[in-house]
Amino acid sequence: MSKLFRQRLTKHLSEMARYLRYVFNDHFVIALMFMVGGLGFGYSNGLKGLETGIWWAPYVVIFTLLLLLQLGRLATLMNDADVVFLLPRERSMHAYFINAKNYSEIMAMLIQIVGWFVLIPFIRVTDDVSWLFLFELLVTQLILKDAFLERELVLRYQYRIKIIQSSILFKWLLPVIVIGVSYLVNPVFGLVLAIILNIGIRYISFNRWQKVQIDWNKAIMMENNRMLGIYRFFNLFTNVPSITGSVKRRRYLDFIVNRIKPTRENTYLYLFSRSILRGTEFGSLYLRLTLLGMVLLVFIQQQWLIVVLTILFIYLIGFQLIPSYFHFDDIVFTHLYPINEKQKLDNFSRTTAIALSITAVLLAGTTLIAQQDWKTALISLVLEGIEILLLVKFYIPGRLLPNKSSN
Amino acid sequence: MTLEVSHLVGGYSQIPVLKDISFDVKDGELVGLIGLNGAGKSTTINHIIGLLTPQKGTIKINGLTITEDNQEFKQQIAYIPEMPILYQELTLREHIELTIMAYGLDHEKAWKRATELLKIFRLENKLDWFPANFSKGMKQKVMIACAFVTEAPLMIIDEPFLGLDPLAVHDLLSLIEERKKAGASVLMSTHALDTAEKYCDRFVLLHDGQVKIEGSLAELRQALPGVGETLDDIYMSFTKADQR
Repeated sequence: MSKLFRQRLTKHLSEMARYLRYVFNDHFVIALMFMVGGLGFGYSNGLKGLETGIWWAPYVVIFTLLLLLQLGRLATLMNDADVVFLLPRERSMHAYFINAKNYSEIMAMLIQIVGWFVLIPFIRVTDDVSWLFLFELLVTQLILKDAFLERELVLRYQYRIKIIQSSILFKWLLPVIVIGVSYLVNPVFGLVLAIILNIGIRYISFNRWQKVQIDWNKAIMMENNRMLGIYRFFNLFTNVPSITGSVKRRRYLDFIVNRIKPTRENTYLYLFSRSILRGTEFGSLYLRLTLLGMVLLVFIQQQWLIVVLTILFIYLIGFQLIPSYFHFDDIVFTHLYPINEKQKLDNFSRTTAIALSITAVLLAGTTLIAQQDWKTALISLVLEGIEILLLVKFYIPGRLLPNKSSN
Repeated sequence: MTLEVSHLVGGYSQIPVLKDISFDVKDGELVGLIGLNGAGKSTTINHIIGLLTPQKGTIKINGLTITEDNQEFKQQIAYIPEMPILYQELTLREHIELTIMAYGLDHEKAWKRATELLKIFRLENKLDWFPANFSKGMKQKVMIACAFVTEAPLMIIDEPFLGLDPLAVHDLLSLIEERKKAGASVLMSTHALDTAEKYCDRFVLLHDGQVKIEGSLAELRQALPGVGETLDDIYMSFTKADQR
C-alpha cells in the first residue's frame, strides 16, 4: 500500500509540475509580482503607522493564525475507482493513509512556517515579545496543524464522533482557544493545550480505526474536491480536461437570471449567466477576485496605485472568465442547437460585460467610500469602462475566434 | 422528413470506421440501427447529427446537407444520446426552457407539450431540481422529454432503453409511434432486438463499419432463408458467420 501511494505520488507530482509550467509561463507572473510587491509595500507602509501596545493587534494575530491553520489539506490521491478495486484491501488502507498524511504534512507545515514568518514583523512592532515566545507560537501552530491533518484522516472513516465531525468546533473554536491562550495568557499553556488536543485525536485514530469502516464515498469525494480546487487554479492558466465544478442552487439569485427574455438570441446568455451565478467554477472565482480587489483598495492610498490596481483586476477577472466560453462544449446539445457561433460569442461578451461592470462599480465604490476620494474613484471608473469595452469588443473575440478553426 | 445517408465514409481519425454506408429513413418511418458494440452505430449517428464531418459521401435531410445551411439542418434534428448529458447548472424547468429557446419554439405551445411529457414520465413535481443529480433512468427521461418537446421532424435515438423502467419503455414507444403518425422520421440504434422487431418498420444491420443488410423483417427473412424467423436469429447468423 505504501508502494501504491508512492506510485500515485510520483504521477501526481509530475502532473503538477506539468501544470506549473503553464502557471509560470504567462504574463501572469508579472501581474503576480505586481500584486506581491504591492502587498509587501503596503504591509511595510502599514507597519510604520503602528506602535507597541495597540489593543487590537493581538486579535489580528490570533485571527490570522487561525486562518492560516485552515490552509493545507490531506491529500489522499484516491480515485473514483478505488471503491471498487481497493475495497477488498480496506484494512491495509490505513498504511496508505499514513503515507498520505506524511506527504501532506510537508506542504501544510511549509505554509504555516511561511505565514508565521510574514507575521513576525507585525508582532514585533505591536508587541514586545521574545524570540522564544515567537518560537513557541510556531510550535503550537504546527502541532495544531498536525491535529487538523490527523482529524482529516479520521474523517475518512465512518466515525460518528460529534466533536470531530463538527468543523466549527474542531477547526475554529478549539484552535482559537488554544491560540488565544498562547498569545494572551501564556505560550506554554497554549502549547500544552495543543499537545492535549493532538494526543486526543491521535488516540482516537490509533486505537479505533481497525473497528471502523472506511467511508469510501466520502473519502473519494473529499479528494475529488481537493483536486478540483487545484485544477480550478490551473484552469485559470490553461485548459484542464475533465474539470467539473460543483453547483449550488442559489435560489436568491434567480431574480437576476429571470430577467433574461426566453428568446433564441438569448440561449447562451441563459446558459452563461447561470454558469456564473450557480457554478462554483467561475462564479466563486469571480466573487473571490472582486472581493480581493475591494479589500486591497481599502488599504491602498496612492492614487496611481489604485488606478493601476483596478485596471489590473478588471483585466484579471475578464481574462479568467474566458475559459467559461468553452464550459458547455462537452454537452453535445450545444453543438446541435440551431444557433450559430456568432450569437454564442455575442451572448458571452454580454455576460462578461455585465459581470465586469458590476466589479467596476464595486471597485470604484470601494475607493469612494474607503478613501473618500471621488476624483480617483471617477478616474478609475471611466478607465474601467473603457477597458471593459476594449476587452469585450476586441480582446475576447480576438482570443476566441481563432480557436474556432482548431475545434 | 427524409434522412438520406449515401456512401458515407468516416470516423474519428484518418482510418475510417465507416466504410461506404448508405441507407435512408423515410417520412413516418422508424428504422432500427442494429449492430455489435463497435460496429459503428454511434459513429454513424455522430455523423448524422453533425459532430463528425464525413470523409466521403453525403448526409441529407430532405435534400439539404449541413454545409448548405447549418442552422436549418440542425433545426430538423432532435437527439437522444446513449448516456444522458445534462447541464450541471440548470434545473429541469430550465432544461426544457433552454430547449424551447434554442429551437425557437412557440413558448406556450411547447410548455403545454412539455407538461404532458413530464407527466407521462412522472417528473412534473421535480421541475426545480437539478436533473444532474437524478438516477440514470430519470436522466434518460429528461433527455426524452427535451427531445420530444422540439417536435423535430427527424429523431435520432441512441440506445434509449437502458436504465428505463418497463413503463417508461412503453411510454417512449408510444411517443415514437405518435411522432411517426405526425410524419416524423426516427432512427434508433438499439440492442433490444425483440423490442426493435416489434416496433421498427425497417432495419439496418451494421457490421464492421458496413451495412450488411437492410430492409423490413419480411425482406430480411426472404434474403436469408433458413436462419430463423426472429430478428435475433437473423442477427446471430450474421455475427456467427463472420466469426467463422
